[in-house]
Amino acid sequence: MALISHEDIIQILKMVAESDIKELHVETGDLKLIIKKYGQEESVQQLESSPKRLTKEKDFEKPSVPLSSQTFVQKPQPVPIDEEDGLIPIKAPMLGTFYRAPKPDAPPFVEVGQLVTKEDAVCIIEVMKLFNMVRAGVQGRIAKICAENAQLVEYNQVLFLVENIEEGKNPQ
Amino acid sequence: MKGITRVLIANRSEIAVRVIRACQELGIKTVLAASEADKESLPAKMADRSVCIGPEKAAESYLKVNTIISAALGTGADAVHPGYGFLAEQPGLPEACAQNGLIFIGPTADNVRKMGDKLLARKMANELGIPVIPGSELVKDFEAAAKAAEKVGYPILLKAAAGGGGKGMKIIEGPKDLNVVFEEASAEARAAFGDDRIYIEHFIPNARHIEVQIVADKFGNVIHLFERDCSIQRRYQKMVEESPSPVVSSRLREEICSSAVNIARHIRYENAGTVEFIFDQDQRQFYFLEMNTRIQVEHPVTEMVTGIDLVKEQIQIAAGQALSFHQEEVRLVGHAIECRINAESSEDQFRPCPGRIEQWAQPVGSGIRVDTHCYSGYFVPPFYDSLLAKLIAKGGNRHEAVDRMKDALAKFVVSGINTTIPFYQFMLKHPDYLSGKLNTRWVEDVLLQDYARQREAGGFYQ
Repeated sequence: MALISHEDIIQILKMVAESDIKELHVETGDLKLIIKKYGQEESVQQLESSPKRLTKEKDFEKPSVPLSSQTFVQKPQPVPIDEEDGLIPIKAPMLGTFYRAPKPDAPPFVEVGQLVTKEDAVCIIEVMKLFNMVRAGVQGRIAKICAENAQLVEYNQVLFLVENIEEGKNPQ
Repeated sequence: MKGITRVLIANRSEIAVRVIRACQELGIKTVLAASEADKESLPAKMADRSVCIGPEKAAESYLKVNTIISAALGTGADAVHPGYGFLAEQPGLPEACAQNGLIFIGPTADNVRKMGDKLLARKMANELGIPVIPGSELVKDFEAAAKAAEKVGYPILLKAAAGGGGKGMKIIEGPKDLNVVFEEASAEARAAFGDDRIYIEHFIPNARHIEVQIVADKFGNVIHLFERDCSIQRRYQKMVEESPSPVVSSRLREEICSSAVNIARHIRYENAGTVEFIFDQDQRQFYFLEMNTRIQVEHPVTEMVTGIDLVKEQIQIAAGQALSFHQEEVRLVGHAIECRINAESSEDQFRPCPGRIEQWAQPVGSGIRVDTHCYSGYFVPPFYDSLLAKLIAKGGNRHEAVDRMKDALAKFVVSGINTTIPFYQFMLKHPDYLSGKLNTRWVEDVLLQDYARQREAGGFYQ
């Protein structure tokens, strides 16, 4: 069987997202792909691939900045959440490298001002070649992007602030 | 340091503090990988940076190899120190480090694997001519166990091949108990290690636990740093350790230490490690038990009597430096004792006591060392082990070390939670402890009974 390309994976992800499929396992050669759809509590999709395969196919989600050369940032300041403004944080479900786009030259998943639904993908967090798609989990407008592309984010770090637009509050 | 400029510490509590201190002395930057529960801990504040690697549950934070590696790469660390426990003896971590260009501050994956299978390690020691306790091969079922037990001779110990730390271990006095206990032991081994392979060892009732500290560099130099006596145990968990052992003669010391060096040399061991032995006090014979491929909780005891900083040595060895001293230069001077101060109520069957420490004032003084991550106001989380501090007292001889330990315990103030301090105060007055006449069953067979009696009478031995 031919090698699965990055585009194929994005295609598969889209198909799964639009279908009723809850979980999908694909294995071909030394590539293993597991897609799971979680509820709003855990809005993460996981793509697993063996490191062997990834070193062969260099174009697959290679971070634009080599991780080891990243500058050492002194204790990052926690982002204050302005409760009064009704901003809701989207937090990192795991430690890893934060990617705003599905691949380096692709447009970001979301920009400030964009409306998102709970199911919309907002970023990818990579943990050792494991690409975890993070979904908004809330509905609203992206008010702020709090993490930098291709940088390490910690567990529970605030990635986005979302302005809540609930149906009940905005009857028009 | 050449090769290592920034270390990620994949651990918590006092050992994280200990590693950070060693790095700071060597001019190495530190990153602490902390769970959600440890984000505000003392080591998190001491490290140049801390990163939150996951929720409180160790399985989702401290035990995740990929997350640890990502945290190290993402913060620009070039080395990983595992401390003890958690991933310290999982060959997967040194392997993943190697694959990602990180230095693992510890032994090779092969070293860890070779010593992880206790039955194989036993066989290897035997081949090297080092005595091992009479025992069996793997026993498949109860029938095989019964047969092997007769051959080995009661009392026997059932042990898990993948074991360590007393888990899955059962003492059986006679054949009538074997059936039930065999099933229990294999179930326990399966639950703890995912491996229910069991073997049988003759049980030595009047035993002491003696272990030898080893350091070995990448150039084949293996040096021992003498022994520690860890016979004060409760449920196979060490409580008090000392060096030198009060029962080891200089001839025996030489034999045990050279056996330990032989084992380490045979597997081309690298970094710090400990070879454990059982010493039969009736037969005056020692037996190989197992090798621990990590820095141990009780390492300060050895540091106090040899003056060698084991954690700094670990880092230097991992960076590719040769040992800076020869065997002849290592001297054992004086006597050191360590008490593990736990967040447990010794008055209430050692029930764990996590919670907020209201007041924490640790003793200072000549020969006194405290390794801890605690302070006034610190919240002891309920998710991890209960070690709060290691109190180490050194004296010119055992008598002086005991006196200093007594004094230090009396001045150790902890309020808000219960600790094991009162228990150690009682132990230090016990005539058996003072004379050194005890074995690995002494705490459970003698001391705890006397302790209960004292509390009922309100002042036994006072």
